[in-house]
Amino acid sequence: MEKKPKILLVDDESAITANLAPILERAGLVVAVAGEGEEALQKASEFGPDLVILDILMPKMDGREVLRRLRRGGNWTPVILLTQVGDSVERAMALEEGADDYLNKPFDPHELVARIRAVLRRARPGQPPLATAARLVCKDLSFDRRSKRAWLSGEELTLTPKALVLLEYLLTHPDELLTRERLLDVVWGWDYPVGTRATDTRVAELRRALKDDAIKPSYIETVSGQGYRFVGEVRTQEAG
Amino acid sequence: MRKIRPIIVPILIIVLVLLTAILLWSRVLPDLLITIRMDLGNALVILDVFFAFFWLVLALVQSRSRQDAIEGVIYEAADVKRRFLRRLDHELKNPLTAIRAGLANLAETHLEEMQRQALSSVEAQTLRLSRLSSDLRKLAELEARPLERSAVNVNEMLQEAYALAQDQPNAAYRDLKLTVPQAPWPLPTIQGDRDLLFLAVHNLLDNAIKFTQPGGTIEMRGFEDGSSLVIEVADTGQGIPEDELVHVGEELYRARGARGIPGNGLGLALVHSIINLHGGKVSVRSREGKGTVVTLKLPAIS
Repeated sequence: MEKKPKILLVDDESAITANLAPILERAGLVVAVAGEGEEALQKASEFGPDLVILDILMPKMDGREVLRRLRRGGNWTPVILLTQVGDSVERAMALEEGADDYLNKPFDPHELVARIRAVLRRARPGQPPLATAARLVCKDLSFDRRSKRAWLSGEELTLTPKALVLLEYLLTHPDELLTRERLLDVVWGWDYPVGTRATDTRVAELRRALKDDAIKPSYIETVSGQGYRFVGEVRTQEAG
Repeated sequence: MRKIRPIIVPILIIVLVLLTAILLWSRVLPDLLITIRMDLGNALVILDVFFAFFWLVLALVQSRSRQDAIEGVIYEAADVKRRFLRRLDHELKNPLTAIRAGLANLAETHLEEMQRQALSSVEAQTLRLSRLSSDLRKLAELEARPLERSAVNVNEMLQEAYALAQDQPNAAYRDLKLTVPQAPWPLPTIQGDRDLLFLAVHNLLDNAIKFTQPGGTIEMRGFEDGSSLVIEVADTGQGIPEDELVHVGEELYRARGARGIPGNGLGLALVHSIINLHGGKVSVRSREGKGTVVTLKLPAIS
């Protein structure tokens, strides 16, 4: 039998941890709980989790600081942030500071389980996750995380800000089925009337820029009736 | 602007006083001395004109600053309201997260039929509160982020909103129409954020369908009016009483007749916010028992 993944759940609201823990346990995960930042850091080294779920808004040390300290200490455990303010700046920051994913409160607990599975599948033990890389490369495409610029075969791409946000999310979540709703949430941060072409037009914009063929995609694949998937293999590269 | 003005006012006064003093000293004073000798009356006229001019400038400056003060108060009030809504949203999020997780746990246990029913009703109400939280966030987000403008094909946008509305289960048995001109030319393009404009139109259609009984008519129209592009969503629904018309764009306001109809009173507030960001105007005309028409007026590019 495969070893059960260990999850460290960090939130200062005990009502949240107490109700989320059984859900995660039922999903076949081993759960440890921390109620504040210092405790989270301590348990991150003692418990040795495979993934940390981290609330951003906590008294004393907030989730962002916990994440920063983990990464500074060379701890590359994947992190899913629970965002609260939910504004676009905070979401962008979450990915920039090396979180693997984020979820806006209040969320569907089953969605959290799905995200945990996806992040664990993507994780490369001991190695920095894609989300912490300064530069991501896939075939002819390279993306600079800090300056938010993208190049195709050395030529800089002109993209709208929303398409750039989308591209960054796709690149940091390769080989994962991303529903339209999820991508809208990435771009907008809130639910949007589904069935609209708001994501489709952004994806079309990206495909045009990447010279990608929707029928035989080398970057973005359409998953009929469900959403999209980034199919290229993404590597990390230190910015030079 | 608002911050600079209070500094400008005293500076302006000092400059004016200095100028007057210099003028008096160099020009008017010698003149004055001569004229006093020659004609005291004339000198008084010159002085009068001077003071009149001085007071006029002073009065103008004062009225400007008073107007600014009023605008400032209005702005401040809107800001307080926005902050309040944002805090309310924050306070909703944590309990909602815990409740949703708790309900998911409860759903896994063995429940009697009665308990199962109660659970599903609580689940539905929790989702409703989650939607409220999400809508509050939309409003706050709109204030915080710059518009991403590009040329928007309005005709196509209206067609899409229309198609989406027709797919709604509630749209059945209601006559949904879309009228856009083809002659002498199609609708002009406008500069704006297509996603947001789409959301505004979608919200209006959604409202129209909600407040119109089966058998009623809903018309969406797009047309040009001078340099403006006008989008109208009209319905033969229940209408809004006259005394409530002024409030319908306010956050969380729900008209008396809206109680019992799903919604949270943020839809139209969001429309207002989006259209204002685009430099446009929203107006609502309604007759109780007859219907409602919401008009969006947006600047078009020729």
